[in-house]
Amino acid sequence: MLAGLAGEAEPYRRLLSEFSGLLRAYYARRCPPGLDAEDLVQETLIAVHTRRATYDAGQPFTAWAYAIARYKLIDALRRSRSHLRAPAEEAEALFVPAGADAAMAARDLERVMASLAPRTRELIRDVRIAGLSTREAAAKHGMSESAVKVAVHRGLKALGETYGGSASDED
Amino acid sequence: MKTDELIQSLSENVPKVASGAVTRRLALGLGLGALGSVAVMLAWLGPRPDIAEAVLTPMFWMKIGYAAATGLIAAALLARMARPAARPGAVAALVAAPFAIVAVMALAHLAGAPPAARPALLMGHSSMSCPWRILVIGLPVLAGAVWAVRGLAPTRLSLAGLVAGGCAGSIGAAIYAVACNETSAPFLAIWYTLGILVVSAVGAVSGSRLLRWR
Repeated sequence: MLAGLAGEAEPYRRLLSEFSGLLRAYYARRCPPGLDAEDLVQETLIAVHTRRATYDAGQPFTAWAYAIARYKLIDALRRSRSHLRAPAEEAEALFVPAGADAAMAARDLERVMASLAPRTRELIRDVRIAGLSTREAAAKHGMSESAVKVAVHRGLKALGETYGGSASDED
Repeated sequence: MKTDELIQSLSENVPKVASGAVTRRLALGLGLGALGSVAVMLAWLGPRPDIAEAVLTPMFWMKIGYAAATGLIAAALLARMARPAARPGAVAALVAAPFAIVAVMALAHLAGAPPAARPALLMGHSSMSCPWRILVIGLPVLAGAVWAVRGLAPTRLSLAGLVAGGCAGSIGAAIYAVACNETSAPFLAIWYTLGILVVSAVGAVSGSRLLRWR
């Protein structure tokens, strides 16, 4: 950046090019539906360029440049809201990347299930998540149907006790 | 346009940026605004009639000094707030230092005065108009500050607006001091400060709209 302020084109081009990659990642996680992430990348690059006089040599470049990126995101949201009357809920996308709930639930499920015995885990996964019938699961694991039911029931009950939730078992 | 082409075209023309560009722009905005404020003060109120004797009294200079010192510190703070990712930092605490000094002097002045004279020291004869006059005289400076800061890159707009208002109010108060013939430190501590706060509030409220840049 210092080279850029001094008017050296090549290091400056490399800096912008490197930072555009970081920006793409930044906006990929934060850009709400209805806004074009690549537009924001370009707007931020232009702002970094035109406002480069506000960069202070004593400051980390990334802190300065990401503050511009964040400002551009908020500004774009504000504009899209006032012009398009997009619902305010879309601002949520700012803070929670799309699909985060599902991803977190899946990760939590994996961790919880890991506390069970391997065969019980398999049975619960087959019957409760993959959607096999008790008979199909019994055939798959070479067990009787009642043994499957008992194992699933006990497994869920154990989970309920360990995690305090309502792992209800309605057969 | 492809982003790579944009980067190419941006880096083809990279004029050297002089250091101190931020300070210069702020000085220009605040300076032109202050000229406007002086014009407003002269056309509207005029200097106090006894200005020739007043410049020999310490109180005249204390009023100007209090407001100008606050304005200078606020301007330094504004230079920070006009940059992305800047924090107010230690300068923010300094803004209150001139007020602290004036407040101590005001309390000493009050304590030394006979009780019957205290209300007059507090209220003067222009307390109801003083803050509003400071607001009107401060507005041209605020306009200059807004122009300067918009051309930089503030990212916390309301906070930048608050600081711009504080700076403009202080400079406006310093200019108003030429027209004002109040002579007590308690009056200065209360009513000048209130005037500065009014302009600060205007800046804070309008900052998020006025300071937006693209």
